[in-house]
Amino acid sequence: MNSIRRWGRDIRFPETIRMRLTAGTRGLETERPQHHFIIPIKGLSRLIRQKKFVIGLILVMAFSMLLAACGGKKDNTEASPSASSPAPASSPAASPSDSPSASPSASAADGGPLADAYAGKFKGTKVTMAGPFVDVDQVKFEEAIKDFETKTGIDIAYEGSKEFEATISVRVNGGNAPDIADFPQPGLLASLVKAGKVIDVTTFMDKAKLEKNYNKSWLDMATMDGPNGKVMAGVWNRSSVKSLVWYNKKEFDAAGYKVPQTWDELLALTEQIAKDGDPAWSIGIESGAATGWPATDWIEDIMLRTTTPENYDKWVKGELPFTDPIVKNAVQKMADLWFKDGAVYGGRKSIVTTAFGDAPKVLFDNPPKAWLHRQAGFITSFFPEGLKAGEDYDWFPLPSIDPQYGTPALVSGDIYAMFNDRPEVRAVMEFFTTGESIKTWVQSGGVIAPMNDADPSWYTTDVERRMAEFIQKASALRFDGSDLMPGAVGAGTFWKGMTDFVSGTVDLDKAMEEIQAGWKK
Amino acid sequence: MRRKSRRTGSKTLVNAILAFICLIWLVPTVGLLISSFRPASDILKTGWWTVIPHREDVTQDRIQLPKDTDLRQPIEVNGNTYTDEQLRSGVKAPDGSTLIWENRRGRLIDVQKPGWTMSKNFTLDNYAGVLTGKTYVLKQPDGSERTEKGSNMSRAFLNTIVVSIPATVIPILIATFAAYAFAWLKFPLRKTLFIVVIMLLVVPLQVALIPVSNDFAALHLNGTFLGIWIVHAGFGLPLATYFMYSYISQLPKDLFESAFMDGASNFTIFTRLILPLAVPSIASICIFQFLWVWNDYLVSLIFLGGQEDVQVLSMRIANLAGSRGDAWHLMTAAAFVSMLMPLAVFFGMQRYFVRGLMGGAVKG
Repeated sequence: MNSIRRWGRDIRFPETIRMRLTAGTRGLETERPQHHFIIPIKGLSRLIRQKKFVIGLILVMAFSMLLAACGGKKDNTEASPSASSPAPASSPAASPSDSPSASPSASAADGGPLADAYAGKFKGTKVTMAGPFVDVDQVKFEEAIKDFETKTGIDIAYEGSKEFEATISVRVNGGNAPDIADFPQPGLLASLVKAGKVIDVTTFMDKAKLEKNYNKSWLDMATMDGPNGKVMAGVWNRSSVKSLVWYNKKEFDAAGYKVPQTWDELLALTEQIAKDGDPAWSIGIESGAATGWPATDWIEDIMLRTTTPENYDKWVKGELPFTDPIVKNAVQKMADLWFKDGAVYGGRKSIVTTAFGDAPKVLFDNPPKAWLHRQAGFITSFFPEGLKAGEDYDWFPLPSIDPQYGTPALVSGDIYAMFNDRPEVRAVMEFFTTGESIKTWVQSGGVIAPMNDADPSWYTTDVERRMAEFIQKASALRFDGSDLMPGAVGAGTFWKGMTDFVSGTVDLDKAMEEIQAGWKK
Repeated sequence: MRRKSRRTGSKTLVNAILAFICLIWLVPTVGLLISSFRPASDILKTGWWTVIPHREDVTQDRIQLPKDTDLRQPIEVNGNTYTDEQLRSGVKAPDGSTLIWENRRGRLIDVQKPGWTMSKNFTLDNYAGVLTGKTYVLKQPDGSERTEKGSNMSRAFLNTIVVSIPATVIPILIATFAAYAFAWLKFPLRKTLFIVVIMLLVVPLQVALIPVSNDFAALHLNGTFLGIWIVHAGFGLPLATYFMYSYISQLPKDLFESAFMDGASNFTIFTRLILPLAVPSIASICIFQFLWVWNDYLVSLIFLGGQEDVQVLSMRIANLAGSRGDAWHLMTAAAFVSMLMPLAVFFGMQRYFVRGLMGGAVKG
């Protein structure tokens, strides 16, 4: 009887129905003895219970099949999950950084992981990589590592995403970090280093070797604050120069203009072109959600030319506020040029609405609608097709403003950081410190190799060779400041504040306060 | 009689307003469609509406001035003098035509007259680029150029199907079971559990990304199809359960009573009565879930990643634009290619869709 009540209640039928149901059954069962009455109901309830059990069974089976499928998948993804122990465990080893020979294994001394890799020790292993290269960049990257892959048998599985910056923190914090990640913004990497997620490369790499192959400023830029002191957070692989002013060489020469050597000459040239009837500059800072970044590059370049590199470093670290006269002076210098009547194609208003990639196109109209465009080396991929480097276009460095600071170079680059410590990952990281790892990319154009062993003859055009020389000879080398600042400033208020200032929504003082406010976040 | 005419009058008005709203709604899509057939250089220069015939100044003739013409002095053209400023912005000549610089440095002037014109350059290049993969020109060390064909979309298309079909079927299957239980079975904490499900509706999926990813890392589910099915099932369940609940709970009670009287078990009631009756509702939640999974970018970005063998369509399309967004003209075509499948699903199931929309609406 108990069970009838239980199952009867289970199915939400009102009391009357249940009575009718029992009555009906009873009606059918009248000839039978009383005790038989319970049996069919009990049977029904057992049936129901059984069916429920069956449904449950089906679900359990379905899930176990799915899980079994997962088990199969697991086997072929990674053979050695034990090696991918959490990163922080190995990073404290970084502390004796002045004695690299003391680092982990003796085998590293005789050749290191890279030599092991070339010896075929890691054949069949897989190293995952994530980064922001997509499309043609990804093709060029894969072309550059192909040779290494065939020689060593290590499969570098590269995963390019346009949303890399947004997702890498989620993936690292979610325990799903790629073995190696490629950061175009060291500021983003710095926060992960601070959290102890990144493996110090000096734990397995010979420091002397690194010093031999990179200029000191590159190594300094790779050194970041870890949870237990300084950490060499990664290795530089791809770089690009920013302090370049592009021009349409054919028309420029035909018009009889001369490449300016000083800021005053640059202003004079601007004036001259205006007199001849054209705006000198084409400037566009629109870039979707990142609108404003080209303006920050200008400020950084002018900062380097109007103050000491030390002040620049302080500024990047947040010790020198945006509201300081030094920074304001730099912004004012830019404003003097940008907001001058007839100096910019489309005038001040169109700067904010012109896409940065579309801006240089007018240089190559016939006749040119504008003559000069300051942008990093990558911009050549936005130039109309069929132009020849060195003949149709060329560049000159943004001239020096104050002779005592010379002509410094503003650079950007990709730093490769390591999240999982396995021998084959070490080998790949070591490979990335060699010029060989970027050779074919350099040859196909668009990047500058930061390594010293990269042969200048790899550059197929003088235009690019001169960029590499420019970096090496620059009076000072500094990394793009907005990429080094914390995201709230470097990819937040700095962009926004510059956009507001250029569009005329706020004045200089207000804009600087707005940007500075980002540091408090 | 009068009543009828008034009704038809108001009906035309309603239809006219609806047509107008539809038109406004369609304009961006039409613009996108037209843009997808235009060459990249044209997209950058002029709007898509220039393909519609319109009146514009059309160049009829050109005048070549002597190369040594001094631009700072008044410039003589066909006996009239103009300033450089006037010629730059265009000036009306006495015969009604407009004079404007074509090549200022070359001293070439366009004589323009208003006329009908339309942009007639159409191309299938965008679609070719999307469907067959882009061609990359790689410079070789010896200065020669080698072209490399990027991979086409078929793999990504297949991956998306592999992701979306189970990610639609699994949650809806579970949700229908659950909805039946919530609606018609009595068990302890039924109300509480149901409220929990409703509450889950308002939890943004972003807050679950890191914890779920952590668990997946322990289970080695990141980057596997099984992982993303589970995630989509999990995120889709609350809405699907609620949706199915509101439909199933509205079914007439008598049906189940008589079925029960005939000795039907819960499972029989579910398979023989609920499922056939809930088809419209299931179809419409299927469309919702399918569209959501098909268009999803975030979830697959985090849990599936962009490796070639698992990459889904939405990520592939986003990457088409290039690292710096310089090939965004391809997005126009890509948008239409990726739209095909959802459109097919929608039109295939739309007769259920309209009926099913009521499913959530008439909850008493």
